Amino acid sequence: MREPLVQGVPPLRVEKALALLPDLEALAPLRSLLVSISRPDERALWSSSGPYLTLGKRGVQPEELRRRIPQVFHRIAGHLEALFTAYVEALECQQRGDGVGVVEALLTAGRLEEGVGRVAQALEWYAVALRVSQGLQDRHPEVGTLQALGRACLRLGLYAEGARHYQRCLALAEAEFDQAAAIAACEGLGKIAQAQVEWVGAEAWYARGVRLAEASGDQRRIGGLLHELATLACRKGDLAAAGDYLRRARALFEPLTEALAMAQVLDTQGQLDVQLGRQQAAAAAYREALAWLQRAPREPSLESGIRLNLARLHLEAGRFLEAEEELRRAEQLAIGDTLMRQLVEIYTMLGALRGRQLDETGFVFFEQAIELSRTVEPSSLAEAQVYEEYGLFQLRVGDRETARAYLERARDIYESTGGATELEHVRKELQQLSA
Amino acid sequence: MKPPVSMEPSPSPAAQRRAQPGPLRVLVVAGEGSGGLLQSLRQWAPDLAIEVEAAPDLPRAVRQLAAQRWDIVLAVLGERADDDVTWWVEALRGAAGSPQLLTAAHRPSMGLVLRAEKLGVLDLLSLPARREDLQRALERVRAVATEVPLPLPEAEPHAVGPYALVGQSPAMLEVYKLMARVAQSSATVLVQGESGTGKEVIARAIHLNGAKASGPFVAVNCAAIPENLLESELFGHEKGAFTGAVTRKTGRFEQAANGTLFLDEIVDMSLALQAKILRAVQEREIERVGGTDTIPVDVRLIAATNRDLNEAIKQGRFREDLYYRLAVVTIRLPTLAERGDDLVLLTAYFVRHFAERYGKRIGAFSDRALELLRNHTWVGNVRELRNVIERAVIVATDETLRVEHLPDELRGEEAALPDRPSGAHLTLAEVEARHIARVLARTKNQIGAAAEVLGIHRNTLTRKMKEYGL
Repeated sequence: MREPLVQGVPPLRVEKALALLPDLEALAPLRSLLVSISRPDERALWSSSGPYLTLGKRGVQPEELRRRIPQVFHRIAGHLEALFTAYVEALECQQRGDGVGVVEALLTAGRLEEGVGRVAQALEWYAVALRVSQGLQDRHPEVGTLQALGRACLRLGLYAEGARHYQRCLALAEAEFDQAAAIAACEGLGKIAQAQVEWVGAEAWYARGVRLAEASGDQRRIGGLLHELATLACRKGDLAAAGDYLRRARALFEPLTEALAMAQVLDTQGQLDVQLGRQQAAAAAYREALAWLQRAPREPSLESGIRLNLARLHLEAGRFLEAEEELRRAEQLAIGDTLMRQLVEIYTMLGALRGRQLDETGFVFFEQAIELSRTVEPSSLAEAQVYEEYGLFQLRVGDRETARAYLERARDIYESTGGATELEHVRKELQQLSA
Repeated sequence: MKPPVSMEPSPSPAAQRRAQPGPLRVLVVAGEGSGGLLQSLRQWAPDLAIEVEAAPDLPRAVRQLAAQRWDIVLAVLGERADDDVTWWVEALRGAAGSPQLLTAAHRPSMGLVLRAEKLGVLDLLSLPARREDLQRALERVRAVATEVPLPLPEAEPHAVGPYALVGQSPAMLEVYKLMARVAQSSATVLVQGESGTGKEVIARAIHLNGAKASGPFVAVNCAAIPENLLESELFGHEKGAFTGAVTRKTGRFEQAANGTLFLDEIVDMSLALQAKILRAVQEREIERVGGTDTIPVDVRLIAATNRDLNEAIKQGRFREDLYYRLAVVTIRLPTLAERGDDLVLLTAYFVRHFAERYGKRIGAFSDRALELLRNHTWVGNVRELRNVIERAVIVATDETLRVEHLPDELRGEEAALPDRPSGAHLTLAEVEARHIARVLARTKNQIGAAAEVLGIHRNTLTRKMKEYGL
């Protein structure tokens, strides 16, 4: 028998709750639930610790977790049922000798896995689909499968493998006159090249995609590729070209009332305006992006990202209050939807904000960010970025020795993960520290 | 020298526009299905002295808000009216000229009306719009210019490091007296008070007026620091003592040597750490994490909490022996509500403080704004007031802080003021719904507690909440 609930018992801190949860894949939904239902303690909001509130210091009621478990099970069961059904459909198709149907069913299963963020598992389904599709006379299923494989590899950072799939997809799509798949393959190859800092290659792939899309009159694809070209031009520092691409993308998307695409384009426009030193225009672009998002299907990741950019803008301008407000809104979104990577970024920026205010206690944000980048969703690159900012924070609050130690830690991680641009950056900071 | 306080500050550009007989600029955001609202407005525009322009939707309205100045944005809420109103309030935040938000919806529920009010929306019109409703809302906008500026009184702050002690209320005078008595002794002090009552300011004042004033004042917020790091933060650590200990670190006890260590929110410490604090207080020596040497420390300890320590002791979350060690002298701080007219002095002090920080010249607050500040329930006490004034100063564009500069939540409380300008006559049901909403907000939506305050059965309350869409 369970003990009856004690009324008035304060909620348990998330840091304590997570410490009791082993790092097992099967428990991932429980971890997400725990994070998403956590709430700041009402009493802490106006207390002196309120400004330093992090995920770990939020509270969670075990009873609420217990109450919500059936909902999670329902979702998991629904997902598994859909997966199993897709598999049974694949079997039925196999029984009837319908190879195309088998591939389609397997791809459906993969897409279901991708939809819940299980990309590695999706890859397994796509690999099976590829084997089947390669035995078919009709090449279209293979084209679709290669496209799915390329996309999954890109999401997992398996660039060489992803490029191979997209290349093959492009070759087959062109042979089969499948214009849409050819455009998608070009876009995928561009993204892979961009992720590997191969600017020229990326530009060439996107440009080829634009030509194909223009030939087929697909306005949405043209707009999407122009946006990719703009992002690329921003990263290369070719700001005039970026502006031109963005203007063209907006002109295509606005009449189509593509709210999500408009939000993405305006987010990039804001970043471009920042690079051009047009702070007011950047703020207006971010605000308009948020307004477009309100008309689009819910996209918490993008909204949180735009708010982060807006916060960065306020931070650079020394508008700390506004920066913190945006960061707290982004935090709320990230926690509600368990966007851990973004939460790491948010806490890193909150730490940087406290550093700008010469507030030593700001170190708690970096500690939380490191904890999250190591445990809930491990990412070495994210951890290195936190250490880099943590080092700069320590420098601001006057602890040069610790600053050096953290910057060196960041440098070591960048060296092992291959973040070339970031490595160069942190080396410069270390040189300045030694000077 | 403080700049001379202007007795008759000039009105804000927004207020000027509203006060002038010239037309108000209204941006109407109405998609399809707004019941011919735009046509009606254009027809009424000459008589109502408004200029009307239209935007088809929120994104394009945001673009127009960035490009031009508006007095009013009239937004038609869609099917997701609750979400829409939140987005609109956010979209107008920071817009040039501080336009007022006026909303319209088909058959708005009482819940939506109250939500809009809470968010500081000027009014919620029912569609199809009636000319007299719109006229009433416009009168309220024009009424802004009738707010009377009151010069800021002298607050006579007493500087305490980066902070200041402000206030002359009897409750605070008692605190000052006790503070003066304990400052010269070396006794450990426990400062108790609700969040935002100024515990750290008092601790600093004791330090600055005490024998260790020439030494450092080191503050540690025990609730903010992750539990696994608090020990090393307090006592320091040797290099390599644990993952993340990249350098040797001096703890706060050592940093506060010959000075004062202020432990804020002490009840948030684990029992194990409480035992170590007790040892440090009793034996006046500490050990770094991962170290073997014993380090003598000479610090004055001041602890603070916003919780009931006796209750924490009963629940086994706080050591009784540590409590008696810390509470040699206890200072209890009054809430802002208990400080009477200190609110006006604090407001004046914060206005001057932030005006200087943000390079503004503000010499007055309006009677209406002050009334709102007086009527607000300050859960976060002085900290909340400081926050509200900082935001107000940031958005203020002239020499008087007005209602329009206050945050949405406070402006939303304007409806509760007895002489709301040009307010409509409320039906009995509306009064009841508003009262229920207010009680629910105070009881943090706890139906049982709210029913008890209202003196009705919880089932009756649930039924009424459903009825009013709360």
